[in-house]
Amino acid sequence: MKILSIDTSCDETAAAVVEGRRVLSNVIYSQILIHKKWGGVVPSLAKRAHEERIDLVIDEALKKNKIDYIAVTQGPGLAVALEVGIKKAKELAEKYDKKLISVNHLEGHIYSPFVQNSRGNPVREFHFPYLALVISGGHTEFVIFKNHLDYEIIGATLDDAAGEAIDKAAKLLNLGYPGGPVIEKLAGDVKNIDSYRFPRPMLKSNDLNFSFSGLKTSFYYFLKKNHNEPIKELASSFQEAVFDTIIKKTEKAIKKSGINRLIVGGGVIANLRLRQLFRNLTNQYQGEVLFPAYKYLSGDNAAMIGVVASYKAERKIFVENEEELDRIPRFSL
Amino acid sequence: MSIKRITENNYSQVLHYTVEVLKKGGLVIFPSDTVYGLLVDATNEKAVKKLIEFKDRSPGKAISVFVSDFKMLKNLVVINNIQEKRLKEILPGSFTVVLKSRGKVSFLLESEKKTLGVRLIKYKFVNSLLKSFGKPTTATSANLTNRPSHYSIESLQKELPKKKLDMIDLIVDAGKLPRNKPSTVVDMTEADVKIIRKGDVDFSNSQVFNSGSPQETKKMARKIFSDFKKTKKPLAFIIEGELGVGKTVFVKGAAESLGINNIVSPTFVIYYEYGNFYHFDLYQIEDKNEFKYLEIDRLLKPGNILFFEWGEKAGEIYNLLKSKAIVIYVKMEYINEKKRKITIKL
Repeated sequence: MKILSIDTSCDETAAAVVEGRRVLSNVIYSQILIHKKWGGVVPSLAKRAHEERIDLVIDEALKKNKIDYIAVTQGPGLAVALEVGIKKAKELAEKYDKKLISVNHLEGHIYSPFVQNSRGNPVREFHFPYLALVISGGHTEFVIFKNHLDYEIIGATLDDAAGEAIDKAAKLLNLGYPGGPVIEKLAGDVKNIDSYRFPRPMLKSNDLNFSFSGLKTSFYYFLKKNHNEPIKELASSFQEAVFDTIIKKTEKAIKKSGINRLIVGGGVIANLRLRQLFRNLTNQYQGEVLFPAYKYLSGDNAAMIGVVASYKAERKIFVENEEELDRIPRFSL
Repeated sequence: MSIKRITENNYSQVLHYTVEVLKKGGLVIFPSDTVYGLLVDATNEKAVKKLIEFKDRSPGKAISVFVSDFKMLKNLVVINNIQEKRLKEILPGSFTVVLKSRGKVSFLLESEKKTLGVRLIKYKFVNSLLKSFGKPTTATSANLTNRPSHYSIESLQKELPKKKLDMIDLIVDAGKLPRNKPSTVVDMTEADVKIIRKGDVDFSNSQVFNSGSPQETKKMARKIFSDFKKTKKPLAFIIEGELGVGKTVFVKGAAESLGINNIVSPTFVIYYEYGNFYHFDLYQIEDKNEFKYLEIDRLLKPGNILFFEWGEKAGEIYNLLKSKAIVIYVKMEYINEKKRKITIKL
């Protein structure tokens, strides 16, 4: 059973062909290529860019594959961008008389550690339940992944996403955009020292929600008052404040739920320091943590959407009224 | 093509020879802090063209340059005092810094936006070479486009077809390089969007509020918003204020009065929609053309409510908003860590 999947939730035009958990082809037309020549994740919106690239990306993904179903991301994301993928999916479904499968982008990130290459690696069995975290520039969500396609949201950010907070700190340090890689590198140069102990937001609250805007404010004020602090220690301390909050909240979630198996997906998990902190935490609770096995899977991509769709297809969960399928920009799990 | 081995003992001679090759517009394979690089005189267009041909690189894709020091860096790109202060803390180092080009190098190396990537690294052979050459060189890796980089001359010779090898004038061999990661890009260029300036908004008849907490800001937003809810025209709130001042808090307050309780920052996706309530964040807008893709005029219908964080970046669409909607300008300022001054202008 082969599925063509499409994701245009934000700045990437992506398509893939998957069979079960195996990715047969995966194409991401990064709009970085259009907008900036220097790399990095640049969420320059570009509806027209999606429209211009989508046929090319789908053709490249399809090649000679004969497919059985078509899957598409319905949300969350940028409305005008989501529309392009959905419109194309509908068009193809009608043209080739295939059933449509709708996928939530966050489900994709939750399944991302289980996505395999064309040879079926990595071999990972499902051992439900998992505590799943999606940490990216646009999301910070805590989910109990109870069984296939069965989720319960137990916490989320109330304002900024974790990746966004780091990007904005970089901006305040005049380090441009995107901030993640630069901050990670500067922090690594000073061995992730935490010289300034910026406030850890929401740690005292008893729930599993995050809030990073207060941290942003105190960082802003600190920089206003102190002009000559070393940039590497500033970057490192800020990163530690964000990561420490994530880890402490995760620890709280482990204690509350009694689940010590973790899944972490989303762009921020490209950060090796954060991966190490998660490993330390799960070791402490005799658990395990799974990250996406391949780098492209932490960013936005269609392969993870296709893998979710294959579990939906197995259970015959299809879009009933294809004409009425519409984007849901704030789609919740 | 000649191959010269470079060591601590003979480097001044080898560098002298390398400078001569560069001066003649030659293509040089040279070691660096990361991988083997391809060096040509960055100011010599013919040499740059040769390099682009060698790499099979599509034209229009930018190529970074090595500089020997801050003096050379400042001669190539536009840099302000704050940026210079920050850069002095991280350079020399394994970064590629992107800034507005002064047009001193071949335009083929610049991006479409006329920016240039500069590298000031911690690597003696490159720095000494640049010092004696006195001009920037290209700093691209010595692999063909979409092929892996090289850490040794052997792997490079094995990989490159003869036709490519024949294009090279000199190979400087420093042995096997340590497997350092590629440089990190620091893009310091400013956005190219029209900002709403003070003079564009008449603040003479504005209302000023002071808020002592996020709760108070929310309450204020609810109150201000309720005055406008009944109008027939679309509403556009333009919110201006620095990072962390509480713009999202203000939007949350207004949204709550409509029963929308799940507002989060839309920075990453530019905007989220909640029925007829649209929450924009223009923070990431880098280029004025991006407004076209947002199709904002399509949203300016009676009953629709649009909130714009980083609204000062809406200069491009300010007149459109004013002609079709009731525009409420909200300026938020820090008084101290807790207190905010909120100025509202209809």
